[in-house]
Amino acid sequence: MEFFQHVLNALQFGSFYALIALGYTLVYGVLRLINFAHGDIFMVGAYIAYFVAVLLLGGEGMSGLGVSPGVALAITVPATMILTSLVGVTLERTMYRPLRRKGADRLYVVITALMAGLMLENGNLALLGASRKSFPELLHKVIWTFGNVSVTNLKVIVVVAAIVVFVLLEFIVSKTKIGMAMRGISYDKFAIPLMGIPLDTIIVFTFILGSSMAGLAGILYAMSYPILEPYMGALIGWKAFIAAVVGGIGDIRGAIVGGFLLGFIEIGVVAVFPSTLRDLFAFSVLLGILWLKPTGLFGVAQTTKI
Amino acid sequence: MNTLLEVKNLKVRYGNIEALHGISFKVDEGEIVTLIGANGAGKSTTLLSICRLPPPEAPRVIEGDILYKGQSILNVPPHKIVSDLNMALVPEGRRIFGNLTVDENLKLATYARTDGSEAVDRDFERVFTLFPRLAERRKQRSESLSGGEQQMLALGRALMSKCSFIMLDEPSMGLAPLLMYDMFRTLKVLNQEGMTILLIEQNANLALRFAHRGYVLDTGEIVAQGSSEELLADPEVKKAYLGG
Repeated sequence: MEFFQHVLNALQFGSFYALIALGYTLVYGVLRLINFAHGDIFMVGAYIAYFVAVLLLGGEGMSGLGVSPGVALAITVPATMILTSLVGVTLERTMYRPLRRKGADRLYVVITALMAGLMLENGNLALLGASRKSFPELLHKVIWTFGNVSVTNLKVIVVVAAIVVFVLLEFIVSKTKIGMAMRGISYDKFAIPLMGIPLDTIIVFTFILGSSMAGLAGILYAMSYPILEPYMGALIGWKAFIAAVVGGIGDIRGAIVGGFLLGFIEIGVVAVFPSTLRDLFAFSVLLGILWLKPTGLFGVAQTTKI
Repeated sequence: MNTLLEVKNLKVRYGNIEALHGISFKVDEGEIVTLIGANGAGKSTTLLSICRLPPPEAPRVIEGDILYKGQSILNVPPHKIVSDLNMALVPEGRRIFGNLTVDENLKLATYARTDGSEAVDRDFERVFTLFPRLAERRKQRSESLSGGEQQMLALGRALMSKCSFIMLDEPSMGLAPLLMYDMFRTLKVLNQEGMTILLIEQNANLALRFAHRGYVLDTGEIVAQGSSEELLADPEVKKAYLGG
């Protein structure tokens, strides 16, 4: 019975990793850019969710608009996704695009992404101070018990959200014209304008997709672990990035499989060993996978991704 | 005849190297014009300057102008040159999207079209009539096509973008002679239907037999011009480009 409990926890954690890994993989697939600010966009998403929720519900000395938690949740989720995607698009327009215009080498764009992430963390620290924020309760917790296994409604929502997002993205990328353009860019950026397609529009769309997924992960994470701090995106961002690489960066299925794989390995290690060994063991396993298949599980060497 | 494209005293630079030293030429509506010249003469640079592709590919225009239907297009963004002005470039090396199927490649070229799905369907029919081989391979990933089929796809893609003016960069490159003649026959048919064509070729003989007029480009300058008959008969051109 304990086994099923672990599986549930692994699915929940895997969902967070997968949602964030999707953002890394989409941007990499289109721009060949590892957007190292992405983990911090997830953090910003959690904070945006916090401010929207406090504004609606009250708390932290604010009276709020006094809406019911159900309505607040229904507003906070889309509002967070939209506002977080604006943050992602702002990074693209103010930092990555000017470098791209000048034909800068990819190394400089990656370094810029690292700096952008640090600026988001430290900007948050400067604006809001070092104190942690506790996230208001947006969802009345319901626990279903089956024998010894207990499932909360939130856990179910997290896992369902990850799966829905995956199906939606697969559809967009494989069936729509804009998705075709995304795949086209990953193969040959040069030829895209020759099709009458505005390159920058497709890139902005990619950032909107990736950042809104990070925003969704941010709000779901904050609801699950309601303590927010400026560095909360750093470690989880790195882990999700590694998950995306192990899955095969640039591939949507790879991001999902890599994310869930990391969730299962982590929970599996903790189930057997002391929890201090979690990351050491988990990353050793992932390293082993890369050792056997350096392009990642779904990766194909040097061809197109997405 | 109305002038469609006019290049005036165009000077172009790649970094610090001047690649075109002030060339001028024009293409009239309904014409087939060819730019011939040796490797490195500046032929591809000329086309890339017209299409103004984003860096690092784009050569920088430092002087002169490019007019399309009398309007300067130097400040028109590259994708609008295709979507709004209905020009198309079939680039050197074809540049098809190898990870997409034949169908998807053709569909992608209709991205900016606003004239409705019926017109698009008609153009699909037309492309598949011109190139039945593509119809057989609709669902195939396009990187699995042969060189000749890829060239058909590159031209088909241009047609799907609803162009009225096609620029082709070395379409004969890497094609077996039979396929090459097929390709040029198809281009001739398109021209008779009203398509204006600017053709860049190293194979000067072939190009001049196909085109109405031609320009000879040598290290960034136009050194000869005239009707195809004149150029084919020109002793200098004969010696340098037609193998004696």
